[in-house]
Amino acid sequence: MKNISLFIILLYAFTSASASSILIKGADIYSATGLLPKSNLYIKDGEITAIGRNTPMSADLEVNGNGMSITAGLFNASTHIGTVEVSAISPTVDFYSENESVTAALRIADAFNPRSTLIPHNRVHGLTHALLVPVSGTNLFSGQVGLVQLGNQPKVIHDSLAMALDFTESGIRLAGNSRAAALVQLRQALDDAKDFSRNRAAAMAGDHRDYVLSYADLAALESVVNGDKPLLVKTHRASDITTILALAKEFQLQLILSGAIEGWMVADEIAKAGIPVIMDPIHNLPNSYESLGARLDNAKLLADAGVTLLFTGMGGSDTHNAYLVKQSAGNAVANGLPKSVAIAAMTSNPAKLFGAKVSGDIAVGAIADLVLWGGDPLELTSEAQLVLINGEVIPMESRSFQLRDRYFKRLKKD
Amino acid sequence: MKRALLKSIALITVMAIGACGDKAEIPAEINLPDKNPYPSTYQIPESPAFVLIGANILTGDGAELTNTDLLIENGKIVDIGTALEIKPDTIKVDAKGKWVTPGLIDVHSHMGVYPAPSTSNHSDGNEMTSPVTAEVWAEHSVWPGDPQFEKALAGGVTTVQILPGSGNLIGGRGVTLKNIPARTVQGMKFPGAPYSLKMACGENPKRVYGSRNTLPSTRMGNMAGYRKAWIQATEYKRSWDDYVSDAQAGEDVDQPSRNLRLETLAGVLEGDIRIHNHCYKADEMAQMIDMSKEFGYEIAAFHHAVEAYKVAPMLAKEGICGVMWADWWGFKQEAFDMVRENIALVDYAQACAVIHSDDPIQGQRLNQEIAKAMSAGNRMGLNIDAAKAITWGTINAAKSLGLDNQIGSLAAGKNADIVLWTKHPLSIYSLAQKVWIDGNLRFDRFDKSVQPTSDFNLGIISAEGARP
Repeated sequence: MKNISLFIILLYAFTSASASSILIKGADIYSATGLLPKSNLYIKDGEITAIGRNTPMSADLEVNGNGMSITAGLFNASTHIGTVEVSAISPTVDFYSENESVTAALRIADAFNPRSTLIPHNRVHGLTHALLVPVSGTNLFSGQVGLVQLGNQPKVIHDSLAMALDFTESGIRLAGNSRAAALVQLRQALDDAKDFSRNRAAAMAGDHRDYVLSYADLAALESVVNGDKPLLVKTHRASDITTILALAKEFQLQLILSGAIEGWMVADEIAKAGIPVIMDPIHNLPNSYESLGARLDNAKLLADAGVTLLFTGMGGSDTHNAYLVKQSAGNAVANGLPKSVAIAAMTSNPAKLFGAKVSGDIAVGAIADLVLWGGDPLELTSEAQLVLINGEVIPMESRSFQLRDRYFKRLKKD
Repeated sequence: MKRALLKSIALITVMAIGACGDKAEIPAEINLPDKNPYPSTYQIPESPAFVLIGANILTGDGAELTNTDLLIENGKIVDIGTALEIKPDTIKVDAKGKWVTPGLIDVHSHMGVYPAPSTSNHSDGNEMTSPVTAEVWAEHSVWPGDPQFEKALAGGVTTVQILPGSGNLIGGRGVTLKNIPARTVQGMKFPGAPYSLKMACGENPKRVYGSRNTLPSTRMGNMAGYRKAWIQATEYKRSWDDYVSDAQAGEDVDQPSRNLRLETLAGVLEGDIRIHNHCYKADEMAQMIDMSKEFGYEIAAFHHAVEAYKVAPMLAKEGICGVMWADWWGFKQEAFDMVRENIALVDYAQACAVIHSDDPIQGQRLNQEIAKAMSAGNRMGLNIDAAKAITWGTINAAKSLGLDNQIGSLAAGKNADIVLWTKHPLSIYSLAQKVWIDGNLRFDRFDKSVQPTSDFNLGIISAEGARP
């Protein structure tokens, strides 16, 4: 657990690195196809060009990776990063709408602030990509899901990958406070969106029937009801998951589940339907009556059933500490999930599912989105030593580091 | 003289000593309010002597011992070392290659007062009907059946301080519990543990009351609110002191009327009740310290203390513990200046650094929170080893509670609160395998008969209530 001295050296070495070639020697490489123990990795102009024995033996920047490990950059599959600065200061919070006429039409990516202090803080600890998932403010529909890359020039990679819907107790409360009432609204919205899609011109001209949702919301739902865009449904209770699976089948929707604290109870149904699940494996408390079945091996049981997992966490750290998805993943492994599955759930799985120029893997030909960890990748004592995003080395700088350095100087004087 | 309810002579004498320290003994006919009307009913169950053989031990007070034996009899640690003298009937527990630490202590928990499920019927942690509610006691809200307790136990947490929330300037008394299954909170109360009083700086109280257009709506309003309370408490204490001294002088005096709110505050001024103060910002900690001097009481700990690193030498000088998270930030302005090195830097300044959870998820894995805080310190070159880091959840935590003479380290004479881990305790892959409290095995990961489950869990997941 001690890679300390080496680590400090590395920290400073990489701060201003602008090397066009990088060689990491002898690190354990966690690729999507398996673990490559004590292997070399060569990066040329931001691209991984060689792995293993055949790498060039020198580079502009050479790193001894002995005792260290490399994974693809961490990808947290449910965050609000860049759309909030201080949670209690509402003008800085942009991930939900308080306006009843803006629901499905809300695109959270429109609010993304690439200069947010949250971004450097998360990327220096290995978070390279994040899904932006809006939260329901007035309606079951939360809005459209975005994908951001947190590199030196943080940017939105995709502004509408999916439509988020909240079918948890809090979403249902916004929809009549009854699961049954919420379902009526949901069906009506989907039917209306279909109708709107078929009669768009007439509807826009005011020559068609009235709808509950605004035209903008219905337009946003068109691609969902046409099966082109996934509906990302947050829900926890086993019976609610079953309800949503049936609804998706009936309306022929693409579906992604999120939350799924009781997912293990219906793991076979989820697997059979081929639905991926975004989840935080840390939950084991019956925090509400929709999550009475919470247990620490939820991730393991879902994976055993054949469900594709995408991780978020830890425990609601979906903003300022979204990098702690790694801690949740580590706890899943401690509770029975294979390590390779846990790593895939926060690297290659979300990358594959959401595509869009993120490889999520350590492979020849891939743009380097990767982290060199001080030891085992999931250990909390393994700090990120080198982070590359979109082929660029990330400076190990953040507001928090600046505060630390300022006050450590004073402490040393005192 | 007005006679209040007569209590047993013995009890009154004990209380009088507690109340007056070096003053002359109070005659039996003087009635003082009972300082312990809801006493602990916890009894240490009898258990056979046992010895852990060949363990790697983080002692909890700074040392790491390899291949060491730990002998436990009658709930206490009797000896620690190699080649111990062991009676033939002592049970031997093979701990070769296994890691052992003291039971972890969470000094900031809301288990029982904000239980799971977190429904409004159980939301009993914040009496936000007045900014000063020193009269409320967290133990009167604790639901002992909260399923969170057993999960913290499975994480190696043996002692918890349950605090009221931070909505009020002075939120009420906290209580220290042994993390054992019980039907009553009295059955969990740590016998003889000092009471604490929760105070709160900053944004929470001024937000709660400011939104109702009552004092406090500002930080200066916060300060005025605390000071007003301490002035009343000082007067109240004087009235009781006068009563006792007049009665001792043989005068026929009436007992002052009891005021539950001021009674607790007077207990602080007497040094019986320890201040645990929710306070994020460096400048506010300094104000709170000045105020404690203005009224003559001590502060045991600043909780959350996100900016403790800015004033760490002041905490060291005043002997106040910083009770901190490893990495929480940004949920409020007063939590914006977080550094992950906070705990390490407070420790570097030789102040008492303590980890806390304030959270039922992190409260199940304080070892991981310690690992993160240690790693952050090491990233900046502070060279903190595991033996040192674990003290943040053991002896330092015990100090903040005033219980470091009983718990927080593995040493002869201490309570046998012990955790045997499956791997190095600071590894993410490590789980508490066995947990003893006062020498009694209270949790065993590989023995279902020693995995307590709340009544609440029965028949929900499985017939027997198992919840991994």
